[in-house]
Amino acid sequence: MIISKQLKRPRLVLIVDDQEINRDVLGMILEDYYEILYACDGKEALKIIEEYRDRLSVVLLDLIMPKMDGFEVLTRVRNDEFLNAIPVIMLTAERSAELRALEMGAADFITKPFDMHEVILARVGRIIELSEGRQLISAAEHDRLTMLYSRNFFFEYVNRIHTYHPDWPMDAIVVDIEQFHSVNALNGREFGDRVLQSIGDGIRVFLTEVEGLASRVEADRFNIFCKHLDDHQKLLDRLQNEVYSHARGANIRLRMGVMPGVDSLEPVVQFDRARAACNMVRGDYKTHLMVYDEDMQRREMLNQRLLNDLRRAVEDKELTVFYQPKYDIQCDPPRLSSAEALIRWNHPELGLVSPGAFIPLFESNGQIGVVDNYVWNEAARQIAEWRKKLGVTVPVSVNLSRVDVFDPTLEDTLCGLIARHELDFKCLKLEVTESAYTDNAEQMIELINRLRALGFEVEMDDFGTGYSSLNMLSYMPIDVLKMDMKFVRNIEHSEKDYRLVQVVLDIARYLKVPVVAEGVETEKQLQMLRDAGCQLVQGYYFSRPVPPEDFEKLIIREKQIKRGV
Amino acid sequence: MTIKELYDRIGGNYDQAVRVMKSDRLIDKYVRKLTASQVAESLAEAGKTMDPVKLFESAHAMKGVCSNLGLEALANAVNDITEEFRPGNARKLSDDDVRARLDAIARQYRITAEGIRDYEQGK
Repeated sequence: MIISKQLKRPRLVLIVDDQEINRDVLGMILEDYYEILYACDGKEALKIIEEYRDRLSVVLLDLIMPKMDGFEVLTRVRNDEFLNAIPVIMLTAERSAELRALEMGAADFITKPFDMHEVILARVGRIIELSEGRQLISAAEHDRLTMLYSRNFFFEYVNRIHTYHPDWPMDAIVVDIEQFHSVNALNGREFGDRVLQSIGDGIRVFLTEVEGLASRVEADRFNIFCKHLDDHQKLLDRLQNEVYSHARGANIRLRMGVMPGVDSLEPVVQFDRARAACNMVRGDYKTHLMVYDEDMQRREMLNQRLLNDLRRAVEDKELTVFYQPKYDIQCDPPRLSSAEALIRWNHPELGLVSPGAFIPLFESNGQIGVVDNYVWNEAARQIAEWRKKLGVTVPVSVNLSRVDVFDPTLEDTLCGLIARHELDFKCLKLEVTESAYTDNAEQMIELINRLRALGFEVEMDDFGTGYSSLNMLSYMPIDVLKMDMKFVRNIEHSEKDYRLVQVVLDIARYLKVPVVAEGVETEKQLQMLRDAGCQLVQGYYFSRPVPPEDFEKLIIREKQIKRGV
Repeated sequence: MTIKELYDRIGGNYDQAVRVMKSDRLIDKYVRKLTASQVAESLAEAGKTMDPVKLFESAHAMKGVCSNLGLEALANAVNDITEEFRPGNARKLSDDDVRARLDAIARQYRITAEGIRDYEQGK
């Protein structure tokens, strides 16, 4: 037992008997161990039971009493949902009454006369122990907020169903709330709890119609294990309506992931897949229901494989860094100005894996830091190599991810690279996406300020895809603004898009920072950007990302232009 | 008169009383309370009207008190009335037999009450 005696609540016992001597004798037997309350008839007893219902450990109830007898009190206690957890021990001299009282829900008997004190103490103690044990189990079995099963009990029962009825087609359904932390932050915890309760209510009503069981497995995540449904959308709509009716005006969206019962899959795997399906709904404002299918399974297996293989990929140099040049277009001809380092993965079995397949994956599970470190190292080494081999220093931009902000060794790592390769701080430019700025604005700004103070230049990447306000831009520490390729894509055909580009360039002028336009593919786009005053461009027009040996050719070519060859 | 002598005089089981109350002090306390407890009066009242419910309730109460006090003679005398009028039991005694038993109980109670009074007065 971990809880100390002093912390245990004193147990409260109610003795109900119409005869003072009987009450006093029982009280005398129990008083050294319990707090005692007395009632001299059934009516008074009920009043006390209701008043102390949260504290009463047991009621010792005489059977034959005036006004209201013990059977009547017992019946009322057993039929009251708030009182029926309180155990009742009947006091009687009549053995014939025992069976009836037991059938009515009495926990035990104490026979008159009260001449066996140890037996009485033992019985009272045992009944309290049993009742408290039952209450503990009941509390652990259910989530207090929703009264659905708690996680452990849920999976215990689900596994039993699966073991005894492996052929039953049971669906695993996961429901959660989009951005639940925001719901709580905006409306308060109590409101959030009411929303969760409304979902619990909806699920409980649903389970009166369909065989199954459910749990609130954590915060805002609910698991439902039920007989196969043909129409899961109907259940989602129903729960969504339940939420709307309890939280009018609040924009709360539920998401649902389903793994239909097939192939006698272990429930825990079934729920993993239902959860994976639910997670795929994230950020999708049209679809709120996802049923796990083979495609998802393939994607999930691929993701798992990539996650497992990352360390090996770093060690075996399966990851390679490509470089995409940035050109200064205000010169004629345009001049190679710098490069962006971009990761590529040449997997020994899967072949070339698209960065789009692994970067968001590693970002979501925090392993992107491993990739970033690899790129920083390679880029720094490459800058030094080119300088040594070609006598030219080409600044290279590398990515700084959200998780890097929380790396306490980040500054030491970057400074170490600069020192090891004897580089100028300005050679290794750091790109931070606009959304990373805005997600952790305060922390990010502090970090960027420290890095800039060391001498690093920082570029805001993908500008225009995030949500930074003009006001934020004015105090965000930036050296270069990288305009997202979406701005450029249509400028040849859309005057509106071209005007937007001009606005971005105006903002940059206001901030006194140069702009790199990304995704430039045509001569016309180049000309329009040049006319609008854009200084730097990057895109397929000049070159796609290329391996270092190919980039070397661009440097050599640039040197030749410079020499007028 | 000691408490044990009182029990001998009124047909009580002193050892039983000790088993229930563990000390002479408590036996003394509750024996003194018997005459004020109205259990005998309630039974006598019920006998006048021959109300079966009241007869059962008051006989049952008196039996319980007497059992805990170890007053066996009185408890045994009341037992017949308790069982005669226990709900669900078939009546075995005529009303006259019941009255006769109630009279016997009253007599036994008087003996007990007189004994207690003498005990209280230190006789």
